[in-house]
Amino acid sequence: MIVNLYPLKTFKLPIIAECINPDMLKGKTLDDMRRLELWEGNKRRTLGELFKIEISNPASSSENVTIIVNGDVSRVKRIGAGMKSGEIIIKGNAGMHLGAEMHGGKITVYGNALSWAGSMMKGGAIEIHGDAGDYLGAPYRGSKEGMRGGKIVVSGNVGNEAGAYMHKGVIKIYGNAGQFTGFRMRGGTIYVQGSCGGRAGTCMVDGAVIVVGALESAPPTFTFEGVKNKARIDENEAVEASFYLFVGDLTENGVGKLYVARDRNPHLSNYEKLL
Amino acid sequence: MELLIKNGFVYDPINGVNGEKIDIAVKNGKIVEKVNECKAKKINASGMVVMPGGVDIHSHIAGGKVNSGRLLRPEDHYRDFEKKTRITRSGVGRSVPSTFTTGYRYARMGYTMVMDPAMPPLEAKHTHEELSDTPLIDKASYPLLGDWWFVLEYLKDGKIEECARHVAWMITATKGYAIKLVNPGGLEAWGFGNNVSSLDDQIPHFGVTPREIIRGLCKVNQLLGLPHTIHVHTNNLGVPGNYATALETMRCVEDLAAGGKPVIHITHCQFSAFKGDDWRTFESGAEEIANYVNACSHVTLDMGQVIFTDTTTMTADGPFQYSLHTLSGNKWVNHDVETETSTGIVPFHYKRKNYVHATQWSIGLELALLIRDPWKILMTTDHPNGGPFIAYPKIVAWLMSRKAREATLKRINPKARSRSLLQSIDRELDFSEIAIMTRAGQAKALGLNCKGHLGVGADADIAIYNFNPETTDPSRKYKAVRRVFKKAAYTIKNGQIVAKDGEVLRHVNGATFWLNVQTREPAVLTAEMQRRFKEYWTVEYENYPVSENYLAVSHPITVKADV
Amino acid sequence: MSVVTAVTCPVCGCLCDDIELTIHDNKVVKVKNGCAMCEAKFMGYSSEHRLLKPMIRKNGELVKVSITEAVKKAANILAEANYPVLYGWSNTSCEAISVGIELAEEVGGVIDNTSVVCHGPSLLSIQEVGIPSCTLGQVRHRADLIIYWGSNPWSSHPRHIERYTAFSHGRFKKSAWKNYVTKIKALVGRKKVQSAIKRLFVKEKIPSAVALSNFRHTPYLQTGKNSRKLIVVDVRRTKSAEIADYFVQIEPNKDYELLQALRALVRDQELEVDNVAGVPVEYLEEIVDAMVSCDFGALFFGLGLTMSGGKMRNIDAALSLVRDLNMRTKFVIMPMRGHFNVAGANTVFTWQTGYPYAVDFSLGYPRYNPGETSVVDILLRKESDAALIVASDPISNFPRKAAEHLTENPLIAIDPHMNVTAQVADVVIPSAFAGIEAAGTAYRMDHVPIPLKKVVEPPKGVLPDETILQRILAEVKKLKQANVREEA
Repeated sequence: MIVNLYPLKTFKLPIIAECINPDMLKGKTLDDMRRLELWEGNKRRTLGELFKIEISNPASSSENVTIIVNGDVSRVKRIGAGMKSGEIIIKGNAGMHLGAEMHGGKITVYGNALSWAGSMMKGGAIEIHGDAGDYLGAPYRGSKEGMRGGKIVVSGNVGNEAGAYMHKGVIKIYGNAGQFTGFRMRGGTIYVQGSCGGRAGTCMVDGAVIVVGALESAPPTFTFEGVKNKARIDENEAVEASFYLFVGDLTENGVGKLYVARDRNPHLSNYEKLL
Repeated sequence: MELLIKNGFVYDPINGVNGEKIDIAVKNGKIVEKVNECKAKKINASGMVVMPGGVDIHSHIAGGKVNSGRLLRPEDHYRDFEKKTRITRSGVGRSVPSTFTTGYRYARMGYTMVMDPAMPPLEAKHTHEELSDTPLIDKASYPLLGDWWFVLEYLKDGKIEECARHVAWMITATKGYAIKLVNPGGLEAWGFGNNVSSLDDQIPHFGVTPREIIRGLCKVNQLLGLPHTIHVHTNNLGVPGNYATALETMRCVEDLAAGGKPVIHITHCQFSAFKGDDWRTFESGAEEIANYVNACSHVTLDMGQVIFTDTTTMTADGPFQYSLHTLSGNKWVNHDVETETSTGIVPFHYKRKNYVHATQWSIGLELALLIRDPWKILMTTDHPNGGPFIAYPKIVAWLMSRKAREATLKRINPKARSRSLLQSIDRELDFSEIAIMTRAGQAKALGLNCKGHLGVGADADIAIYNFNPETTDPSRKYKAVRRVFKKAAYTIKNGQIVAKDGEVLRHVNGATFWLNVQTREPAVLTAEMQRRFKEYWTVEYENYPVSENYLAVSHPITVKADV
Repeated sequence: MSVVTAVTCPVCGCLCDDIELTIHDNKVVKVKNGCAMCEAKFMGYSSEHRLLKPMIRKNGELVKVSITEAVKKAANILAEANYPVLYGWSNTSCEAISVGIELAEEVGGVIDNTSVVCHGPSLLSIQEVGIPSCTLGQVRHRADLIIYWGSNPWSSHPRHIERYTAFSHGRFKKSAWKNYVTKIKALVGRKKVQSAIKRLFVKEKIPSAVALSNFRHTPYLQTGKNSRKLIVVDVRRTKSAEIADYFVQIEPNKDYELLQALRALVRDQELEVDNVAGVPVEYLEEIVDAMVSCDFGALFFGLGLTMSGGKMRNIDAALSLVRDLNMRTKFVIMPMRGHFNVAGANTVFTWQTGYPYAVDFSLGYPRYNPGETSVVDILLRKESDAALIVASDPISNFPRKAAEHLTENPLIAIDPHMNVTAQVADVVIPSAFAGIEAAGTAYRMDHVPIPLKKVVEPPKGVLPDETILQRILAEVKKLKQANVREEA
């Protein structure tokens, strides 16, 4: 079943729409879907009040739900939060907490996603073709339960603290990343193809941050381990290039790995003296 | 307003009523002989258990420490919240609920009075502001006095009467209810990052020992004739082998007892009943404690039961909390209060599969079941240290049903299971014993004459639970026990129905009880006292006491002392 | 003429409560014990910009109206809004804040206090790391090492050093004042010392800048057993730096690296770099030495740390450093709170809602996620549709875009002054000065609650914040009930 959603207006108020989730639409009729609850500012609304809903080939197994959101939903928060199966395609920008705590299924955004996309994610995949905001895959305030699994791929740039407190899984960023990428991570891999802001990997205990572009500066609390020719992203994928390898963070007695491409970071060449 | 509760099975241990079908009449917020049956609102309690409203002798619900715990744990709140209704305020819950939610959740379980057990005197206004924002229940708070410099100095000089006068002043000034000691001496030492490890350690810079503080304040308590005994969190809390310290603490005031009346309350005793030399050899010391308590009459205890859950530990015991932080690696708040006390907060997850945690769970229940007299051992979790108070129904079920205990035993750490004394304990408490451990005994230990019973003249604080002891066996139907204690059929506060079947019907303020301790010679503000005040604290003498307008509903109890 | 003692000063987070005021003819005519900021507040609070009458904007002009009309208008705006924000709260009493929270809950709005633009990042880090702290008296009695990081108390909290830290007298540790004098003696000679002492004691002016210490050539200062050491870390040499035993001048926005390097050294790790944030590693080792060998250390940090590059993670590192130091000795840390009751705002918010600031009630229960539910971010995203501002002036100190969005929607200002926000507001309600014309409670930066006194009567017809808010709340409740009845 494919469910097409069309925003009925340009949203001004923040909207919280946990119902835009394949699991919630599974087995529902069009009328049921229209009645699903969401919040616009401090007012209770229904999905039907804010979106035009169209169902195509309902006959095909209603088990496999794909939601296609057509239009800008950057004010709509928590799309796909907690989803376990199915697929969401957003043709436009997506709001905060996209796919927060998701367990399975797939979300694709042909646009940008605001902060906390994939926050506390446990499984599944998120693909963002534009940019992502801050706290990509990071946990809620006060929590150290970061990303536990799954994969996030961002074609554009991301903000600060991508993959903070990450335990497991993969984040791939093809653009640039902000500061504190992989802050206090305990496992998993973050790959940054573009340049990376400062403090990457600080306070990390384990896991790996791979920076192919320029890294602003290497944290002083890491030890230089030498030059490597390969950095592994997961079982199936590795990057072949010459990398400086730093291990840390010393402040947390960590053994996390920070790979920084040699050719793009001549300002780190003084470390080669230590070899 | 008049109220008549008809046909319930009434459990009122203080008045010797044990499950008989008696009608309870209420008028103007008090229990009365009878009411006009035509005019009174009637509650049909047939097939239900009627008890006095629950009383909690030790639950951290308000004040600076609790609030730091709230601040520390957004991740604990955000999934558990209460929406605003036409009647109630919104809030968050889990291990450190916001104030309104605290009041509602206690009332839903049939509780009507809760004591906050740790008020730093300097921050007493904060505690009272929060208590005033805690609806539906009555409450009171115990000022922390065991490490107060005035106490240490007077006791060093052996000036008991002088000490008593100042304690009286302090209790009145902070609108407190009882003398609280936490790791006496250890908190002063913690000011420089140290601790004490036995009752006879000298406290640095002050030249007194924990033993002298405990005995001294016990005597002060007697001199002042306060309704509750000294309320003691022992030295070495949370340290393997500390059951010996707990025994020593109880023994050290044995000779001060007279007339078979308690002179000391050992709180959250589970945390002080550890045997073994370290965490590897750790085991239960409940039997030793129980044997001692069974043979004497000068002690009351509360359990400090552990619940398998994620919670937030918070005590005034700074050094203990620090050790918990180093043990768990969890985030840590410390807040030392000048001249008086300290505070520590660490989130903690008790796991069934962890040997130590599972043994702690067992110790609490062993204490409750091995101590024969339920008036001596009261039910608490030391909320939120052993677990949040919303878990009380679980404990009631464990106490009433061997089957309930076995169901949990099956799922805990195997080594802890095989060593647990619970396997050999058949005792199952009845409703009367539960009523003692959760209300009557608590009120009696607190010296609250108007609470914990349903005799004529008592406050009309009543809990009704939808459980028929004639047709249902709590031992077998322990899940039903859990269910009914979670949501009282009716909670009546001062003669008003405030909650029904788990729904809050009214948002009314409960009262804050406090002692107005009048000594023959008051602690006068001499120039010397003023000088010391300026030296010891960073606030002015005039701004220190809690004025009555900080209490939404003030309920002073006058105590006249001959010192 | 009457004298009021033990008055609490409603200016900064020090909340000094030993102020003595002389009142004549309902006016403060003399201030004793206070700093310059305190004197200025008590003597000059009632300036020509004082608001005296409620006003409503009609046809683009603010016109005077009755308080009843202003309250009604304010209630209407809030009750009709779909996502109102209620902001300010740090310069009023806890009692007023408490009513404000109920109002926010009633109208399903977002309530936020000025933490969002000051120590909000500190609170976020405390929620991740915790905080080893204490009350200020504890520092006075015990601390022998005091560090100010990104904070210049000499100017921002003028009595902090003399009342609570380096120059205060405690039970176990004595004032460092004598050392300071010795030091000046050695450096500038007897004559200058005498005038410096004189100036300091009458608190007229701070001592003129004396070249004291710089990390390139500072001999380790020998101090007595019971005395204190003072370290100042900042990007520039402030007045506070002048009186310090050590001054560490760091490169701007490099605090994080420096703190992390100190952490590594406290853990006995070796660094592979020669200098961090422009400071040689040997010098850092000396500082770490002073830290681990003190009896009781206290680190105070200000906005220089909270608001520089790295923000909340700077505080994360500072909190972690102090936590780590507790493995070696006793160490505490405390944010230098600015507004006199910003700590109180955090405190009341937390006990009623579970969260210290940025609380969103739009779903009928408290939700919290700064960045999402914080007022500045909401305004920057242009999400709100009405605002109530209490005792604050966001139009003049928020980012321009955020301020613009405030003016584009109905705006209510409750303030004693005709500040910029009031000037562009649609409803303006004058209020009494908390702590001068209205009593209440405030929380010191160390969370000690201290009563605020009412020492003079407010101008005729001017009400305290608490009363104004209660009236708006009552009006909102009336409107909501009418709505419910209509629907029924």
